Amino acid sequence: MYIPIVFTFANSSPSLVSSGLDLERSFSQMMQGVGFSPSLAHLLWLPLPMLLVLAAAVVGVLVTVWLERKISAAAQQRIGPEYAGALGVLQPMADGLKLLVKEDVIPAKADGLLFTLGPVLVLVPVILSWLIVPFGQNLLISNVGVGIFLWISLSSIQPIGLLMSGYASNNKYSLLGGLRAAAQSISYEIPLALSVLAVVMMSNSLSTIDIVSQQNGAGLLSWNIWRQPVGFVIFWICALAECERLPFDLPEAEEELVAGYQTEYAGMKFALFYLGSYINLVLSALLVSVLYLGGWGFPLPLEWAASWFGLPLDSPLLQVITGSVGIVMTVLKAYLLVFLAILLRWTTPRVRIDQLLDLGWKFLLPISLVNLLVTAALKLAFPVAFGG
Amino acid sequence: MSISNSTELICFLVLAFVVILGSLGVVLLGNIVYSAFLLGGVFMAVAGLYLLLNASFVAAAQVLVYVGAVNVLILFAIMLVNKREDLKPIPGLQLRRFLSAGICLGLLVLMFRVVLITPWSLPGPAAIGEGATVRIGEHLFTDYLLPFELASVLLLMAMIGAIVLARRDIQTVDVGTGNEVNQSLIEKAGTPLLVDKTTT
Amino acid sequence: MKHRYSHKSLSNDALTMPEMGAILLSTQFMAAPDELLSLSINAGAVAPEGCVLLAMLGTLIVDLAGEKAASRWAPPICYAGLGAALLLLAIQWDTPLEPSFLGAFLADKLAIAFRAVVALSTLLSLLISWRYAEQSGSPVGEYAAILLAATLGGMLLCGSTDLVSVFVSLETLSVASYLLSGYMKRDSRSSEAALKYLLVGSAAAAVFLYGASLLYGISSSTNLQEIGIALLNSPTPLAALALVFVLATVAFKIAAVPFHQWTPDVYEGSPTPVVAFLSVGSKAAGFALALRLLVGCFGAFDEQWKLLFTVLAVLSMSLGNVVALAQSSMKRMLAYSSIGQAGFVMIGLVCGTEEGFASMVVYMAAYLFMNLGAFACIILFSIRTGSDQISDYAGLYQKDPLITLGLSLCLLSLGGIPPMIGFFGKIYLFFAGWADQQYLLVIVGLVTSVISIYYYISVIKMMVVKEPQEASEVVKTYPPIQWKTIGLPPLRVALISCVLITAIGGVLSNPLFQWANNAVAGTPLLQEAIELTTQRALV
Repeated sequence: MYIPIVFTFANSSPSLVSSGLDLERSFSQMMQGVGFSPSLAHLLWLPLPMLLVLAAAVVGVLVTVWLERKISAAAQQRIGPEYAGALGVLQPMADGLKLLVKEDVIPAKADGLLFTLGPVLVLVPVILSWLIVPFGQNLLISNVGVGIFLWISLSSIQPIGLLMSGYASNNKYSLLGGLRAAAQSISYEIPLALSVLAVVMMSNSLSTIDIVSQQNGAGLLSWNIWRQPVGFVIFWICALAECERLPFDLPEAEEELVAGYQTEYAGMKFALFYLGSYINLVLSALLVSVLYLGGWGFPLPLEWAASWFGLPLDSPLLQVITGSVGIVMTVLKAYLLVFLAILLRWTTPRVRIDQLLDLGWKFLLPISLVNLLVTAALKLAFPVAFGG
Repeated sequence: MSISNSTELICFLVLAFVVILGSLGVVLLGNIVYSAFLLGGVFMAVAGLYLLLNASFVAAAQVLVYVGAVNVLILFAIMLVNKREDLKPIPGLQLRRFLSAGICLGLLVLMFRVVLITPWSLPGPAAIGEGATVRIGEHLFTDYLLPFELASVLLLMAMIGAIVLARRDIQTVDVGTGNEVNQSLIEKAGTPLLVDKTTT
Repeated sequence: MKHRYSHKSLSNDALTMPEMGAILLSTQFMAAPDELLSLSINAGAVAPEGCVLLAMLGTLIVDLAGEKAASRWAPPICYAGLGAALLLLAIQWDTPLEPSFLGAFLADKLAIAFRAVVALSTLLSLLISWRYAEQSGSPVGEYAAILLAATLGGMLLCGSTDLVSVFVSLETLSVASYLLSGYMKRDSRSSEAALKYLLVGSAAAAVFLYGASLLYGISSSTNLQEIGIALLNSPTPLAALALVFVLATVAFKIAAVPFHQWTPDVYEGSPTPVVAFLSVGSKAAGFALALRLLVGCFGAFDEQWKLLFTVLAVLSMSLGNVVALAQSSMKRMLAYSSIGQAGFVMIGLVCGTEEGFASMVVYMAAYLFMNLGAFACIILFSIRTGSDQISDYAGLYQKDPLITLGLSLCLLSLGGIPPMIGFFGKIYLFFAGWADQQYLLVIVGLVTSVISIYYYISVIKMMVVKEPQEASEVVKTYPPIQWKTIGLPPLRVALISCVLITAIGGVLSNPLFQWANNAVAGTPLLQEAIELTTQRALV
């Protein structure tokens, strides 16, 4: 069978690529040492990374909410939260607690079932998408072959949830907001998918692991952002639009639609929307860093440093170091982008709905098509640099 | 039976139930919005069946195309045309329902019979799993190249046609002569057949 | 690869022969992209379709420059594209047969003949539609582009030898047809026609897909020839079920009774030039599909599908022609008569002999000219008067001899009156049927032909015999005839050439018969089927 071979700078360091931290193997060995069968050990292992990622996602949201409050305050020359914990770090917890104990209201004329199902359908695909986010060579829940494609297809479920909650609220603002959100989401998904496709074309694989390892041959210089500057910008714009962040937060534009599809929601159901949008923001930032900023890679290839210090490449110490550096780098890059998104939110005005659709269909779509075409041409012309 | 086998069986049974009940709901429910949402659920369950068959690319494509595009489009159409209209009761609706139910049941029985008496060659070819994506790509560019390219023409034409049918501006002047156009001039103005049954 | 298609019988040597798919797969997985590119896909076989595609893109680009530019430049581009396609088809006639696109397409003589019919019907439909489209204020450029896309689908359908390409080209043809039938946006009947067509057509497509999936399940191949071999080896009940599903779709496409319900409403509501294309081009593609699927793939179920088609043919001929008697609208009458005409063509399909297939080709070619000639006259009349009621044609002879003469000749030919081309086509069909002992079909055909002559003649009588004072109001206020307006000269060309071919083509029809016989003789698929039929007859 013809297996796609990734011709990249990464090939210069095959040993690092093939090894790395493998927590599952160690866990399985440990459990078998205690006396469990391998399949039972696997079964026990399965929920662990899921819970870990769920926790990571929620903590990520808490951090982002705190950042949002602090940065917005700074942008408006206020102080922001300061009493709940040092520098107000506990403020997001307080917010969450408040939402948790609030009364759960279902409007009298609303459709109870769909009203409840809507926020769930918005949140679940976003959390599921964390399956494919890698924090290191083996540090992800599942290295599915369709990788990034899974994320694209999962994120296409979200509009259904938005439409559902918009419809079930039995409120015209909600319905309009839901329709707008769905329209926005499907319009921006196309350029988003096309710019992802350009990256996939260069790395010959849909798997996020392969996409990152393909960028980690020469550190900073081999990141995709240099080879896909246009794709990077398109992806970032579309990701913001998918997350309904300003300047694209039309679905909940308060001057026009009160709060869009969220108008009738309160308590924990509202919190699900809230959580969903922030998890989605962090997820998008993580994926930008995976696709364009070298994922877990350090700006300088670590194996150079290792050979400088004379450490063998498969020593446990180096593996632990690269693993932790990988996690730190991924999170750092992602939060840099989150910072950018927050800054954008508090400094830019909102676009109108017609401008939004114009931008999506008449500008981003053609540009991303051209970008894809140029990438293909470059790949044929310079196979060394563009993963031929 | 190993753990993975029984998990697989349970998953299959659940998904199959969702598919069957969901499709029945799509057809039988009175509220069209519920039908549309259930249709989305059916599509998702079918994607789950593909996953069980170890065809993850097909499953993801199923979700992207059917749930993300087809179902959202259907919902859009329903929600934008949100006109409550009391339709005239159709005469003999009950009889028609019985008739169509009878035909469908007959077809179902026929299919069951055919499925049971057909000598299936089991087990089928082994799933190739992750290699499927590459294999699909190769097929699209070798023996299915012609339909693949033709599909692009189909989509282009469908897009243009949809825009032509949907856009509001219609020409009012005959390009050739400069006269005012009149579509009823050519098609002798008649009432729609749905309204007027005397022409048949 | 010629040997693969030159074997005469489906005996064991067909199975021991190296399967192309297997070779292909084994080469594919080892091959680097360069080698894949060098794999011969023989794309030259679809060069005519390439011309049509180029014309379609050209029309779209010209259309960007505005409606004036489109109405000026779209016609020549379309003529050039379709003319080049016909030329390339003529060149292809004598080239050695080679499967292209790794078994997805086969440009055998049968395919070439039917593709030529489809392309020619588009060319003629376009010639008669410019004036009509402009007068009704429809955008001309997009109209031509969609019609060309339909042609592309129809032409590829004629040569497809793979279930996937059959389905995609079928959908291209169908979706374009739905769009075209709804092209008169402000006419609510046109929208209604489009909606009905879309709903019924989608259901038919779904049924086809289900049947196709069963076929794939039986044979684990999408190639029609391989499916045919698999069915020959194991004719299971499942295959019979697949046959029923596939046959329903084919019957829908050629509008055979009882799958004809959509036809009258769609034909009446759609713009008339579109009806002209649907009744000839779309139907020809449908018959090519029937030959490919039933003759090429369901050889094992020969008797079953022939029986089913006998029933369909009898029903189509009787119902189509009898109901046509009662129609007051010209388009509706032609719609029902086209159902009847499709019934006649099915006689040839049921025979399965050399003459049967050849007579199908001949009749399709003859039907192309006589039906489009009739439509050209109707369109000209409706452009001038805005009417399509049969009663409004009363006394037309006084005012417009050309339309009267043309319409009379074409209708007589459709009815099968001797010197016309339709007579020879029909007699050939009946002859083939009689030779194959399909007495029921031939007798029903003869009786219904007489019925059809009655209603065709009554239209002619209406036009010719009426005294001036008995003429209809429409004819009394008939506008003076002038051909200056843009779009009318092409209409006149189409009208006169169709009528001429209809009138004198019959007398000089020897080359046509020769051509049809060649087409059948040069098609391995049909030869195999004929061999099979004769073998069975001997046993």
